[in-house]
Amino acid sequence: MRVKLIYSHEVVDKPILASIILMAKIPINILEAKVNAQKGELIVSIPATGDKLKEILDLFRREGVQVQEFAETLRIDWDKCMACGACISPCPTKALRFREDWSLEFDEEKCVACKICVTVCPVKVISMP
Amino acid sequence: MLSSEKTEELRTIDEINEKIRRGDAVVLTAEEMIKLVESSGLEVAAKEVDVVTTGTFGAMCSSGVFLNFGHSDPPIKMTRCWLNDVPVYKGLAAVDGYLGATAMSETRGFEYGGGHVIEDLVSGKEVVLRAESYGTDCYPRRHIETVITIDDLNQAILVNPRNCYQRYDAATNSSDRVLYTYMGTLLPNYGNITFSGAGQLNPLCKDPNYETIGLGTRIFLGGGIGYIIGEGTQHSPGAGFGTIMVKGDLKQMNSRYLRGASFHRYGTTLYVGIGIPIPIINMNVARTAALKDEEIFVNIRDYAVPSRPDLRPVVKRVSYAELRSGKVNIGDRDVPSSSLSSYKMAREIAETLKKWILEGTFFLTKPIEPLPRQREFKPLKVRGREIRVGDIMSRNVITARPDEDIKAVASKLVEKGIDHLPVVDQDGRLVGIVTSWDLAKAIAQDKRRLDEIMTRKVITAFENESIDVVARRMAQYNISGVPVVDRLNHVIGILTTDDISRKVIGGRCAQ
Repeated sequence: MRVKLIYSHEVVDKPILASIILMAKIPINILEAKVNAQKGELIVSIPATGDKLKEILDLFRREGVQVQEFAETLRIDWDKCMACGACISPCPTKALRFREDWSLEFDEEKCVACKICVTVCPVKVISMP
Repeated sequence: MLSSEKTEELRTIDEINEKIRRGDAVVLTAEEMIKLVESSGLEVAAKEVDVVTTGTFGAMCSSGVFLNFGHSDPPIKMTRCWLNDVPVYKGLAAVDGYLGATAMSETRGFEYGGGHVIEDLVSGKEVVLRAESYGTDCYPRRHIETVITIDDLNQAILVNPRNCYQRYDAATNSSDRVLYTYMGTLLPNYGNITFSGAGQLNPLCKDPNYETIGLGTRIFLGGGIGYIIGEGTQHSPGAGFGTIMVKGDLKQMNSRYLRGASFHRYGTTLYVGIGIPIPIINMNVARTAALKDEEIFVNIRDYAVPSRPDLRPVVKRVSYAELRSGKVNIGDRDVPSSSLSSYKMAREIAETLKKWILEGTFFLTKPIEPLPRQREFKPLKVRGREIRVGDIMSRNVITARPDEDIKAVASKLVEKGIDHLPVVDQDGRLVGIVTSWDLAKAIAQDKRRLDEIMTRKVITAFENESIDVVARRMAQYNISGVPVVDRLNHVIGILTTDDISRKVIGGRCAQ
């Protein structure tokens, strides 16, 4: 599950993520981080579902972190994709890669919606609604 | 040289065609040939296999289509012509034209070009034809605008002057900014590597001595049948960069294998699918047809250097296997690498060609002439002297030291009437730059020393660089001047947009 964590200036200097990782014993992966003295925004991937996920999200909320489900995702027109690979090496999170048969594979859980693939696709079959 | 044993004929093209007719030809794709040689050895493979099929599917800019529109009534001698606003070359007879893959739409620019029109035509889509003329007694019409499809055209003949590069150097970027190139988007600081070509499936790689490929070779072209009509432009066999010129009837092709494409901030092109059958006529051809990605090498070149392709510095020499693995080690880290051409489609083309031959619908041809094995690929010499930075820069540079007082520096600028002040250390090496704008801001903010406000990351130029390249650099970074430095970073001059506009007039040096 990809989640956007928004830290206000009151909590931005606290090691909330680290504490929760230790407390819940779950390896939360940071996909993107924009932090300054006033504000922090992290996009993280939490390997959990259902009650366990809800429990973890509540831990963040309790610490004053705003939690948003990260819904932005790519749309790929698979019929028109040539599987050239032009989007693969520019992707900062390796969300795009080749399958064994050299067709393209998209791992939504890794995508941070940076949109570089949308611009580099030579046949413009990747879009972000 | 080819030894006589290796060139001893195993089978002729006629014998292979006879087997195709009987339905008992042995045809393998290049990938299958590699596996067979690995498992049973070259001798057995050469004895058993009649044909090896190859394939490639990549951006091939030197592609285009000859079109004949037919005559309207009253007729027009089209002197300028557009298809979906993409200009068509009209230096031919009244209603003949050539649409090139890289021609860009006059209304949609990078988004849509000749390659896209070709794909639209092949897909059967309607395309807007617009043309102009000056009117003659025999061709009185001066304007025409209509809608056509590929079926309305008398001929649509794909004629691509340079396709199917034997192999192609890979690209990376050592600079600190993103580069938008025909090799795709190259991220800063060796952020990625892009490459093109199908390596072990690449047609010309499988017969690099051109024993079976030449003028008249029948091939898979864009999903239809095509022919090699000779060497391609920039054919450079000595260096292993052979190319071919091809033609085929667009009306028989398939838009799955001809795709209009655009490279972000570079331009438009056409992805072309080509497959060439390699008849295993002797041991030598059997051996090259079984070459693997691990045995096919290219250079990775640094596109940060604005030089012609063969002068861009080589960062590393790698095999297609390494490139295709997804990462290449440069220095002390793994850099992600990915292709621009489609290996999946290359495979599909080799499979399709194999199927055609097995079905008995595709027969092999003996080339009338092989591709030349020797050809010099010359750069373009620029005659006459071009203006370089050193010709127009100011050599009398006013500089400052980092510890100087801002007010003193400001008065120096006013006194000399300049806007750019390079900051140098005691050895005259560049450490920063300040502009009159920086100084105005610093005084307003009550800053004291120059090193508090100077820009440390300075955009510079070398004395021998072309003015064109440096002017573009200034526009890119939105700056109006660059210090000119030597290789040791000593400031030897300064070049401003003012120097360029005053001293370069009509492309010539006024002084």
